[in-house]
Amino acid sequence: MWSDIVIPLAVFAAGLIATMWLRRFGYKALDRWAKRTKWQGDEIFLQATRVPSILWCLILSSALALAVSVVTPHWKHWANKGLWTLLVISLALTAVNLVGKYIPLYGEKLKTTQRAIAMSKNAANAVIYIAAILILLDIWGAPTTAIIFLIILAAVVVLVAFRETLPNFLAGIQLNARGQFKVGDYIKLDTGEEGYIKEMNLTETLIESADGSTIVLPNRKLIQSTVTNYGHLMKKAKEPFRFFNRVHLTELTGLKAKNLKELADVLQNAPDSIIYYHTHHFLEEHHYLTPEPANDFAVWVSDALGDDILGEKLANIDAFEFSTLSALRERIVNVIGEHISSGQEVRKAAEGREFYFMKSASVVMSTPYLARDLREFVEALRKLSLGSLYFHIFESRLRLGRVTNDFSVWMKDSLEEQELAEAIEKVNPYTYTLEGVRSQLITLIEKRIKCS
Amino acid sequence: MQLSDYEPIVGKGSIDDLRSLASKLSGKVIQNINSTFTGGGVAEILSRMIPLLSELGVDARWGVIKGDADFFEATKKLHNALHGSDEKISAQDISAFQETSRRNIKELELYGDIIYIHDPQPVALIERKKELGKKWIWRCHIDVSRPNETAWNFIKPWVMQYDAAVFSAPSFSTPLPMRQFLISPSIDPLSDKNRELGQDIIDSVLSKYGIPNDKPLIVQVSRFDYLKDPVGVIQAFKQVKRSIDCRLVLAGGTATDDPESGKVLAEVQDKAEGNRDIHVLLIPPRSDIEINAMQRAATVVVQKSLKEGFGLTVSEALWKGKPVVASAVGGIPLQVKNKFTGLLSHGIEGTAYAIRQLLGNPEYAKWLGQNGREHVKQNFLITRHVKDYMVLFLTLGRSEEVIYL
Repeated sequence: MWSDIVIPLAVFAAGLIATMWLRRFGYKALDRWAKRTKWQGDEIFLQATRVPSILWCLILSSALALAVSVVTPHWKHWANKGLWTLLVISLALTAVNLVGKYIPLYGEKLKTTQRAIAMSKNAANAVIYIAAILILLDIWGAPTTAIIFLIILAAVVVLVAFRETLPNFLAGIQLNARGQFKVGDYIKLDTGEEGYIKEMNLTETLIESADGSTIVLPNRKLIQSTVTNYGHLMKKAKEPFRFFNRVHLTELTGLKAKNLKELADVLQNAPDSIIYYHTHHFLEEHHYLTPEPANDFAVWVSDALGDDILGEKLANIDAFEFSTLSALRERIVNVIGEHISSGQEVRKAAEGREFYFMKSASVVMSTPYLARDLREFVEALRKLSLGSLYFHIFESRLRLGRVTNDFSVWMKDSLEEQELAEAIEKVNPYTYTLEGVRSQLITLIEKRIKCS
Repeated sequence: MQLSDYEPIVGKGSIDDLRSLASKLSGKVIQNINSTFTGGGVAEILSRMIPLLSELGVDARWGVIKGDADFFEATKKLHNALHGSDEKISAQDISAFQETSRRNIKELELYGDIIYIHDPQPVALIERKKELGKKWIWRCHIDVSRPNETAWNFIKPWVMQYDAAVFSAPSFSTPLPMRQFLISPSIDPLSDKNRELGQDIIDSVLSKYGIPNDKPLIVQVSRFDYLKDPVGVIQAFKQVKRSIDCRLVLAGGTATDDPESGKVLAEVQDKAEGNRDIHVLLIPPRSDIEINAMQRAATVVVQKSLKEGFGLTVSEALWKGKPVVASAVGGIPLQVKNKFTGLLSHGIEGTAYAIRQLLGNPEYAKWLGQNGREHVKQNFLITRHVKDYMVLFLTLGRSEEVIYL
């Protein structure tokens, strides 16, 4: 019968026209959507499916024609299997094509190595091919239970083998989607790790800490921790700043004074270290007090001699005004000398309350902290021991004769931050506790970083 | 105790400092020598310090000299005379000291790179310096600010041969040809005497000694000794009591080697007779938790000594955050910075006035107590002591005042 041929042909033609029309309509809508979005993946999807979709229209039309044809059920059965086979193969090839384009796209965004990209592609292809083969075997009636069991077993083995990597891999995708960090950002984790991000890949993030060492952070840790992102790379110093720490031991001299004259006589010839000790040691020893006690000479004159007027005059001598210890000594001796020559009553300390002259032996040691830019500097400053802060601010200026504090010298010479260096120089550390000095410096540096 | 146990108290930075210093002493053997392994402050300090130094990797060892009863009789007299008493040192004493010293010089094995001699008993071991070389330190734990001249002149020829001397307070030092350092003693915040106690323990100790917890409590913890002036404390208390209702606790022991202590106790009990607000408590030895509890129960802690070595009971009270009134003698002014970490007094009236100030101004008393605790944390805990020892060892043989390691 002619109708046995014409009807299926007509159904095929109608089906083909309808599906092709639907395809055209669909792709037009998708093209418009692709133009509206910035996602690069839409173009890839459209390109990869445009040709295979014609084949899918043909397969669908053929399936409709076959359904209305009068061929024997036996042939219909085999023809259907053939069409399904074609569909599965074309879908698998399209999926392989898509995966082959999507993985490099996201790999590049995550700055993943080529090796990792290739490995990911191979793994995805393997999954697609295995799924396609299983479906085809099922279509053609071959037994698949054993194969599925083997595949599940293999999957379990893979999952166990990569149980550490998989959460990091997923965290890597999450990190990329969030876009919170990028290479070059300075990050700090609540668990203490900090530094500049130098590489991010699917499973881990590498940061370079201030001492130049590389810290490998599994991506899962980044997701689970509280992370502060301080942002961009800062200007690098010509030479890094190395923080030192100082501990000291008080040295006794055996010298003592029981009245002002003896005090002035010893001070006149005492080594600078004695002047330094008695005008500075309380800054560290009583750093927790606000306000701190005055220098030892002022306290002794007031407490042991009961001379509050001279005590006030000595307390008012601001060590910050002097760039050398000999100048500071001269001022102290002059103030005492003027007081003696003004004919004030000569007072004597009670036995046991004499002024005992002391000095200190300092031991300076390196610390793990190093700064190559302002961000690393300020982060180290937050963690520095008070002994270290004291050494760079007080000891370097007067005792080691560097005229100013170590921080300003480095900022000027190595970082060319003249303005900031001068601002730090202007902070009078003698008017703050050590914690107060730390807080002042952090404020100044953070302000400078914000402006840069 | 382990170093890590101290980290929550002094902070990681302090412990890191100790580790850094210790690393620079690797390979050096520190040999401590004193006269006894048990009893006395020196043995107590060494028994706590040596394990901490060892944990840090510093090879610190401890040995003692041998001596008979005559030798220790002589050294006791020497000790008292160096403290300034009029103790007569006989020719027999000198002979006993010299004879035992000669035997120790001959028999004692000296192997340390640094030989750390504690107190006057082993001082003569320095005679082996010429033969052995090494670095020698004399650690003087006693107050030699006004020594009996005969006693000082007796040990001085040996003292002068040391490479360095260490004293506990600035007033103890005297012009000597070698470098002298100040290393204050320390308290152990984790010992029974200083560790935190629950209110239930404090209450049970007060109840054991029959002290009602109904009024502000003024406490002095000291052995019954004229130099601790317990009678003066009672007089000051009576003056305070005229305007502020309070109680006084005088807690302490009697020293077996001090025949006067029984007499002092009897006198104190006599002065306290009939006053239900004065509690004179004879505390048996090794009652550290009870002493701790009394200090913690105090509203004000007093240390009205007439003469004092260092007076570590002041640091113990300050560590417990207590406002302290103490005499400006010995090492006390190092611990009590007047009006900053406590109040210094110079007599009975001054003590009474200071106690009244503290009882009448609890906020001020609290502020002083907090400062006092912080001051002890910074300067008088065992970790600072360990640090000082290591800095001392590193400083030996170096003339610079700033040493870069």
